[in-house]
Amino acid sequence: MYLVIVGGGKVGAPLASSLINEGHEVFVLDHDPDTVASLQRELGMIATVGEATSVRALQEAGASRAGAIIATTDSDEDNLAACQLARSNFDIPRTIAIAHSPENAELFDIAGVDLVVSATDLVLSNLATGLPAHPLIRLMPIADRSQELVAIKLPAAGTVIGHTLSELTLPYGTKIILMVTAEGQSKTPDADTVVEAEDQIVALSPANSTSELWELLTELR
Amino acid sequence: MNVIIVGAGNLGSSLARKLSDLGHRITVIEKNPKSVSLLPRGRVDSGVMTVIHRDGSTGAAMIEAGIANADVFIAATGKDSLNGLAAQRAKTIFRVEEVMTAVKDDGARTLYDSLGITTINKASIAADRLVNMLVEEK
Repeated sequence: MYLVIVGGGKVGAPLASSLINEGHEVFVLDHDPDTVASLQRELGMIATVGEATSVRALQEAGASRAGAIIATTDSDEDNLAACQLARSNFDIPRTIAIAHSPENAELFDIAGVDLVVSATDLVLSNLATGLPAHPLIRLMPIADRSQELVAIKLPAAGTVIGHTLSELTLPYGTKIILMVTAEGQSKTPDADTVVEAEDQIVALSPANSTSELWELLTELR
Repeated sequence: MNVIIVGAGNLGSSLARKLSDLGHRITVIEKNPKSVSLLPRGRVDSGVMTVIHRDGSTGAAMIEAGIANADVFIAATGKDSLNGLAAQRAKTIFRVEEVMTAVKDDGARTLYDSLGITTINKASIAADRLVNMLVEEK
């Protein structure tokens, strides 16, 4: 497929290279002559200097015969304009754009961009999967957010493991509501319930002492 | 009317001054605090005209400018694509009745016209005026 990539920078350049390796025909438009020169050195004559938001530049890049435009510049407004101009002037079948700010991602959707890649969402979802293994999950806010329902998974080597609940000094106002073992068995907590490795604890916590609770329950030996 | 103008360059400042002369309430959003020298200083200082220093294409700046009560939104920066994005947000997210944008490029003009946004092209207005003057002289 013939693809026009707008922006040959941090995203556009590696994208162009990988699409070429997959057998696509690619053309890159970038306003910076140095960027274009470096693309030409690495990938051949597949890039030209031009403004992403110029109808003429899009035309010269072959937008009228392209199967899709992929807008990857650092500027959200240019990415949106490039997609909209390519659609309205060249009836390009598919428009794809990066939105750096989440509110622009929403606007791009409304404005009819076919595929919106939200940079913030991507980073957040990647960070979330890379977080420590014993996260705090905030299940729901309660009573005007003064309290919250939270779930905390206990580490195997935690200082609280092996103790009964009555032996723990929980922050004032904290109520342990439910405990679930690593095997998925639920325990109704009372003073004599023993905390075991990798239990999950669901608690009602005053919002301002949740981090204290988390530190207590996940402190390592 | 309540009017929000994004950009305090030549066009934005002159619009702000003239609409303020007519008694409208003007809020100008200009990112660069150094770029407001063309606005009527007295009216800004006395609070008749409000100036907000933020990126005028963001929802946060628009909300601070009181977009919920705005009758007119005018995107008047020097960058077509930024004007277009701001105007589309004002229209589709905040549902402002009258949304206008300055454009330089004809492609942008056709695009934003088709989206129901009124476009203003300084160069073409100036050219039309000059042509009219010449025709009238003959």
